[in-house]
Order: sequence, then structure tokens, then C-alpha cells
Amino acid sequence: MSMASQIIREWMGIQQFPPATQTKLLELLGKLKQEDVNTLTILVMGKGGVGKSSTVNSIIGEKAVAVSTFQSEGPRPVMVSRSRAGFTLNIVDTPGLIEGGYVNYQALQLIKRFLLNKTIDVLLYVDRLDVYRVDNLDKQIVRAITENFGEGIWKRALIVLTHAQLSLPDGLDYDVFCSKRSEALLKVVHAEVRGKKNDVHGSIAPVVLVENSGRCTKNENDEKVLPNGTAWIPNLVKTITEVVLNGSKSLHVDKKLIEGPNPNEKGKMLIPFIFAFQYFFIIKPIIRAIKSDVAKESKPGWK
Amino acid sequence: MSSFAAPTHLLPTSTFSRRKLSSTTVPARSSSSVAPRATNIQCNLSPSLPSPQNPSKRNKNILKSLSKPLAIASAAGATLFLRLTPIIGGEGGGGGGDGWFGGGGGGDNGGGSGDGGFWRKLICPESAIADENNESQEWDAHGLPANIMIQLSKLSGYKKYKLSEIFFFDRRRGVTVGTEDSFFEMVSLRPGGVYTKTQLLKELETLATCGMFEKVDMECKTKPDGTLAMQISFLESTWQSADRIRCINVGLMQQSKPIEMDADMTEKEKMEFYRSQEKDYKRRIEKARPCLLPATVHAEILQMLRDHGKVSARLLQKIRDRVQKWYHDEGYACAQVVNFGNLNTREVVCEVVEGDITQLVVQFQDKLGNVVEGNTQLAVVKRELPKQLRQGNVFNIEAGKQALRNINSLALFSNIEVNPRPDEKNEGGIIVEIKLKELDQKSAEVSAEWSLVPGRGGRPTFASLQPGGTVSFEHRNLQGLNRSILGSVTTSNFLNPQDDLAFKLEYVHPYLDGVYNPRNRTFRASCFNSRKLSPVFTGGPGVDEVPPIWVDRAGLKANITENFTRQSKFTYGLVMEEITTRDESSHISLNGQRVLPSGGISADGPPTTLSGTGIDQMAFLQANITRDNTKFINGAIVGERNVFQVDQGLGIGSKFPFFNRHQLTLTRFVQLKKVEEGANKPPPPVLVLHGHYGGCVGDLPSYDAFTLGGPYSVRGYNMGELGAARNILELGAEIRIPVKNTHMYAFVEHGNDLGSSKDVKGNPTEVYRRMGHGSSYGAGVKLGLVRAEYAVDHNTGTGALFFRFGERF
Repeated sequence: MSMASQIIREWMGIQQFPPATQTKLLELLGKLKQEDVNTLTILVMGKGGVGKSSTVNSIIGEKAVAVSTFQSEGPRPVMVSRSRAGFTLNIVDTPGLIEGGYVNYQALQLIKRFLLNKTIDVLLYVDRLDVYRVDNLDKQIVRAITENFGEGIWKRALIVLTHAQLSLPDGLDYDVFCSKRSEALLKVVHAEVRGKKNDVHGSIAPVVLVENSGRCTKNENDEKVLPNGTAWIPNLVKTITEVVLNGSKSLHVDKKLIEGPNPNEKGKMLIPFIFAFQYFFIIKPIIRAIKSDVAKESKPGWK
Repeated sequence: MSSFAAPTHLLPTSTFSRRKLSSTTVPARSSSSVAPRATNIQCNLSPSLPSPQNPSKRNKNILKSLSKPLAIASAAGATLFLRLTPIIGGEGGGGGGDGWFGGGGGGDNGGGSGDGGFWRKLICPESAIADENNESQEWDAHGLPANIMIQLSKLSGYKKYKLSEIFFFDRRRGVTVGTEDSFFEMVSLRPGGVYTKTQLLKELETLATCGMFEKVDMECKTKPDGTLAMQISFLESTWQSADRIRCINVGLMQQSKPIEMDADMTEKEKMEFYRSQEKDYKRRIEKARPCLLPATVHAEILQMLRDHGKVSARLLQKIRDRVQKWYHDEGYACAQVVNFGNLNTREVVCEVVEGDITQLVVQFQDKLGNVVEGNTQLAVVKRELPKQLRQGNVFNIEAGKQALRNINSLALFSNIEVNPRPDEKNEGGIIVEIKLKELDQKSAEVSAEWSLVPGRGGRPTFASLQPGGTVSFEHRNLQGLNRSILGSVTTSNFLNPQDDLAFKLEYVHPYLDGVYNPRNRTFRASCFNSRKLSPVFTGGPGVDEVPPIWVDRAGLKANITENFTRQSKFTYGLVMEEITTRDESSHISLNGQRVLPSGGISADGPPTTLSGTGIDQMAFLQANITRDNTKFINGAIVGERNVFQVDQGLGIGSKFPFFNRHQLTLTRFVQLKKVEEGANKPPPPVLVLHGHYGGCVGDLPSYDAFTLGGPYSVRGYNMGELGAARNILELGAEIRIPVKNTHMYAFVEHGNDLGSSKDVKGNPTEVYRRMGHGSSYGAGVKLGLVRAEYAVDHNTGTGALFFRFGERF
């Protein structure tokens, strides 16, 4: 198993967080342990350059994955594993899903293969807060994720909006903007998921704001806070915990999921019946029709 | 007496002799004027060749009607003739033999019931004289004072007179009739012609005996310039009015023979004679078969009779023309009205010789035209002949043309002639002769070509000269049963033929159920290969080049085709093939490739084959049924065509492929306006509706996936530009408006993968960034074989001009 080959290091980064954050995080971990959750695997996905790797680093508290600011990031998925007091945290950072204005299905395939035999507890769907519009591409990504991992993944998903500390145009309220942006994105997710089935109950995918920048405002406890005053790291981990414990099932990636259902096998048993149907109900009637054509063919006068 | 001029061209000797005969029988005539009421008249009306100009016109018509088969022939590289020896001449001759009339007495007590008087009329005037006497000929001046009237008999027998003018004077109406009058056609004399006295007398005799006139006279007026102005004054024959008409087919019956009446007969004897004649005629009518003439034409003639009151010669002429027109319009080219009988009774009898086929002869000729024993079995030819052409039917030119086309489609003959000729032994009968020149049984052909391949730097070098070409052979008509073997090998480089070697070997075995069995099944076995660019591995819009995948197929095919009609057929058989997928450089390719943004190529695309090895073998059953009821109306196709095809995998081959791949195509050509059919008439506007569904259950390798986009799928897109899917639906509509000699059209098309692109392994639609569906619309014009069209691709909203060969539907 690939997980075993990975060296699981002690989660040292947690100590770099301000004490207030540390306390909150340990509290949340304790809560998870209480619920018998000893391992947490988080999958981070999103477009390129939205801050996936930075978010991973922020959560771990150290520079665990390379952030490639201008480049399309790491061409392959990377898993960072940290353990603390018998609790293991795995975060899978992935390459951006967009390439040249299209969904990169190869990248998705690569991610799926990388995740073989792993169980995904939480999906962080990362996008930027400071984008004003939701376009077709967003829909396509959501659709691609749904198609590849199933609808269930959205019950285990968080929408993470980075660059939360943004300067807004005059007269725009921060909270109003945030809720509008989240709503727009959620609408896309809902449309994709609901579009197929209506049995998705309850709210899916809570939205969490994130600011990875080093210049992020800090509060009196030295915690990084959002313009609205929330300390975002504990908030993020708290929301993750909530999602983990929301009663839905985590997603195990097996061979079947990677390859998808084999379309070649679908309906194979029916082929003899289909063929018989075609013979008796299509070919035969057409032959009969032709024969009647021949019989009643409007013959020229001399025939 | 001149007659049969037109036929003379065609059947010279016999007619001439008959003409003489007819002239000898003239004296019997006058009886019609003696006892007009009781006269029973037979008009041996000339067929449709009344005037000298007509024969050529007629020939032209025949030629015109033949131009079609001729065109077919030239396309097929063979020559066809449908030669119609105008039997009409023969007919006329037959009848003409007895150009006499028996006088009809006995009318007094006959009380209107027709009695045995006959006369027979020969309208056919002729050009015999006109031909002999060319206008440029020398002529003699009349040598008489100008402006005096002179009797024909007073003319000198040694002079050649020039007629500068001819007038017709209708005594009954008291007017001079113009050349447009139907009688004019019966006179062979033409203004400007040069004639001797004998000829003029003959002409007069002909006119007098033809039965159209009770009385005819010729008078000449001398002109100052030495020429004569002729006045023909006539009294049209009339008979008692009739209200019924009966058409009978007297073909193959003995023509009534003139019986010389003894001038010394007593009144009683004469009565006896007439009565016996009447009886004979009645018997003859009873023996005769009914005519093909439909009730509508019959009714039309009845109306003519009623409108006219008295039956006049002109009316009979009209009736004759109407009846013959119907026959000739229907293609009964040999039919003609030979006689009118029972005149002066309530029921006129119209005697028609329809042209019954007494014999069908198939003859093979060698290259020099000598009759030889052919290699082809007669049954092969005979089964292509329409029933109408067999013995006992009435000859129809359309059937002849049909036979010509059918035989031509056998592709066995270089020359085909369908030739009706009069049966010498059977009066009114037609022998249909089919003369065939066989093509060589064996042929082989080698064609070579050099191609220059750009070498280094784009410049051709010596080494880049490639010899290529095709070697083919054909062995046709094995055992005279039209079985054939043909083979061909084509390569663009003989030095390195493995690069691209196309071969085909085919055996065709028609008449699987026997050549005498009407069931028409053909067995075919072939061994083939092909190389095609796969449209599955094509990029969507905005995707730069997708490295191509070539699909090579090689295999065996055996199938049976049952032809129900010329267009509707059912084919079923077995296909065994090996499919190899290769990349640009001919290396076997396992997966589709894609170009990465970095410029590199990754070979992790969708799998190309089912086995995953790049080589698949499979065997499957293939059935195709086509119901095609389309026909051409003035060049526009109208009707409907339905095609269903199914490939049923048998689980034999790599990875035991088991599948059912099916396609249903429905096309309707709706005629939007009624139009008159005929040559040079404009075609109707047509609305074309088209639907195509394709689906597959079970194993579906990429090369068998249905692709969307392309000139035969959704126009305006490249082949496969819209996607490759497991199930597809294509819908199209096109409206065709005739413009001048061609047509313009506008179309709308849509193709949809029905969400089944993901059901193709590797989802090539998604990998190559295609939409999976798309619409287009556009308009175009047909220029000969080429269609020029502007199509707008609805996905991107851009349009482009395309030139395509052939038809979309």
C-alpha cells in the first residue's frame, strides 16, 4: 500500500500555531478521537493557482508542499501525512484541474489512480473568493468531479474560498459579497448534483473562507483572522470535523471507481434478446413491407 | 397510284409490289357512292405517317426516347441500340395489299345494318413521287395559253410539269382549304414539284380510292410562266351517324382480302354477295380480341361521334389519330388503326393492329456482327426481360427500353439491340429480336503511376520517386451464368508495398436459387483490406492537432444479397476481420495520443482496440435491409428510404467480442408540389427529412464507435468533430428548391451522443474535448456533381464554405 511506504512524520507544524489555535485544534482532534476517528484523509482539488498548496501548508503549519506561484503546480498529486498523539492527518494536494481552458481529464485520471485503495474523508474544493463570476468552466469541473467520484463526495466536501482578505470595491459589504460568492458556487454544485437526483437532502458543502497570505491580519491571540474577525484555521478544521462527523460515508477509492463501470459489460446479457427482437420486429416487418411494395407497385400502363 | 411513301423508306421492295396490287383493284370502288347508306367501309388508314415529313419526325421521337438508354450505355462503356424497324410499313403493306373496295349495295333492305361492302383506303400518299422528282429537276413549260383551265387528261404525257401552286377546294363547304387541313396530308404533291402526267393521274387515283372522298378532281390552270396551278376539288365522304364505337384487335388475323366482284352479277347475286360479306365481317369482329384501349379514350371517341353527327372522313381521321396517339403515348409503338368497318351503321368498328409479339429471339453476335453461339446462358438474358416482351403480349417500347436497361445492368455485353420487326409469316405480328455482343470474359489491367514524395528540405530527389499503381484482373461470366471473380492490388509504392497495399479479391455468384427461379439471390465472397483514418481520434474545436490513428482492416466476408426490387434488398452474411490500429508512422498503437500543452505527446489516451494490444480479431454476423421506394421525378428524388443494419458479434475473437451494433436510417423525400412529368420539365421542390439512430450494446472498440460530425453526419463540422459515442441520434432537414437547371437547398442538422460518449472506453469525446452534440445550418447550390454549401457550425457560431461531391442523403 502506498500509504505505508510514505514516511509518516510527527506533526511538528502544529506547534507553530499560536497557543489559542493549538488549543482549539487539539480539542477538535480529541473530539474526532472520541468518535473513533484516528485517521483523516483530506483531498484538495480545484482549478490551478487558486491556492490549494498554500492551504495545505497553512493547515499543516509548515511548508510541506512546494507552492508554485506562477506555474501550473505539481504535475502529480502529493500526499502529506502527519501524526500527532495517535492521530494521522493525510492531505492530498493535487494538480489543477484546468488546462488550456478545459477540464484536464488526464489530471483527474492521475488523481484517481493516485488515490487507489485510499479512503477520502473530506474533499476541499478550493476556489478564490475574489472572483466575481461563476462560469461554464466551474460547472464543468464540478461535473467532472461528480462523474469521477460520485455524487456522494459532495456530502463530504467543503468549499474553501481563498484570498479571503480582499479589498472590495467601495460600498460593497464584505459579508454580503462572501455570501453572494458562496451562493453562486453552491448553486453550481447543487445544480450538478440535484440535476441528477433529488435525494440529496440537507445542505451540502459548507463554505469556509481562507487567507493564506503571510500578511494576513492577526488578532490579539496572534491568530490569523479574516476581515470579519474569525480565526480561520481553527474554523476550517472545525468545519472539517463537522463534515467528518455528519454521518455520511467516506469514499473508498477502488479499482472500480477509477475505471468507472465497464460500459462494455452493460446489457451484455440482453444481446440475444435484442437480436431476436431486431429480427422479428424490425427486419421481418421491413421485408414484409417490401413485399407488399412489390405487390402493389404502381405498374406502368404496359405491365 | 402512289401510296406508302413513308413506309417505302423502310420496307422497300414488298411495299412497292403491293402498291401495284392496290392500284389494280381500284375499279371496284365507286360503289360507296352508289349505295352510301349500306356501305361497309374499311379504312386502311396509314399509321402515324401520313405526310412525308412525318417519318423523320417520328424517327426523331424514337431517337429522343432512346437517348436515355444510350446515355446509360455510354456511361457503362457499352453501346446500346433500341432499333425500331418501323413495322408500320409492313403493316400498312399488309393491309395495303387489298386497297380495294367492294361496293355496298343492299342498304335498302339492310336497314342500316352494315353490309358487306368494303372498301379499303390507303391514305398513305406519298413522297415516293416527291422524292423521285426533285424540285431542282428540269421541267417543261406547259406550252399553252395562260390562265385557262385544263383537265388532267388533256395534259401531255411527255412533259414534266411544274406545279407552282396547289389549292384544295372543298366542294361541300364551297371553300378553298388551307394546308392545315387534315386532308392536305394525304396529297403527296407539293407546290414547286415537278411531275409527269402519269404521276398526277396516279395521285388522283390514290386520292379517289382512299375512301376519304366521294369525289376528287384535279384541274390545272396554266400560268404565264409556264407552270401550272393545280386545284384539287373534293367531296368528303360521309356516312350515316353512329353512336357507338367498337375497337377490336385484328392483329394476327387474316386481313380481309378483296374479292373481285363479277361485273356481270345479277342484282340477286349481288345481294347474296353482300350478305355473305356482311356475315364474314361479323364473324371477324367476333373472332377479334378486345383492344387495350381504356374506357376513357373510348368515351372520348364516343363524344366525338356524338358531337359530329354524321360520320365523315375527317372524323374518322380524327378518331384514328386519337386512338393511335393513345397507343403511342403508352409506348405501343407498333399499334395502328388499320381499318374502320361497319360504317353506315349505328356502331362503327375500329380495327387496330396492336403489334402482338409472335416470337422472341435472342441472338449473340461476335465483334464483326456474325451470329454466334454465345457463352451466356439464355436463361440469364431471358430472366431480365419484362413479361410484356414475351410472346403473346403487345409490343411496348417502354418494355423494350426496360429490357435494354435490365440487360445492360448485367454488364455482360458491349452492345445490346432490342429490335422489333414484323413477322413475315404472321400478319400483324412482331418478332422481338435481341442482339447481344458479349464482352470478353477475361480482362486484366495494369496501371502504373509515379509519385514524387517531397524529400529532405521539401525538394524531391531521385530516391523519392515512387512507382505505384494497380494490377487488376477479372474473369466474368463463368459458365455463362454471370459468375465472376475479380481481384485487384493497389499500392502507391511497388518498392515497398507493405507500406500501403490495398487488395481485393471477390467472387460473385448470382442466381443462387437457380437461374430459372424468380428469387434473385446473389452470393458474394470477398477478401479485402482497407485503411482509414479514425474519426474517433479527432480533436474538438480549438484543440490543436490530435495525432491521427489509422485503422487497418483485413478480412473475409461472405454474404447473400436478396434483391426484391432494383433498390430494395436484404443482405446477410458473415464477416471475419483483423483490425490493427496504427499511428502516423505505421507503428501499432494501443492508445490514442494527445499533444500536451508543453508540446510533448502522451500516449495515454483512450484505448484503440478491445484487446488493448492494438490488434483485434473478430467475427460477426452482418445484416442490412434496405427498403427504398424512391424514384426520380424530373430529376428530383422523391419517396422514402429506410435502412436497418445490424452487426451481431459472435463472441469469437480477441477478448471474445460479443456485441450488437445497430443502425436505423430513415429518409423521406417529400414532394412539395405536384408537377407534370416529362423531359425538360422542372423538378418539384422537395423537403428531405432524415433521421439516423445508431447504438451498440456490449463490447465496443473505439473504431466501431459512432462518430458525430462530418459531411454525412452533421455538416459544418469535421469528421468526428462532435464526438464518438455508443449511441447517437442524427436529425436533419433539407429543402430543395429547383432553380434553372439545378437546385438550391437549405438545411438544418443536429447530432447528439445521447449522453453515451462516456460509455465508450476511455471517453474519447471528453479526452479530445468535444461537445458530444452540435447543430448546424446552412445553404448551398448544386453544380453538377459538386455541392457548394455554406454551413454554420452552431457550437462556435462560425460558418465556412464547403465543396462536396455527391449527395448527403
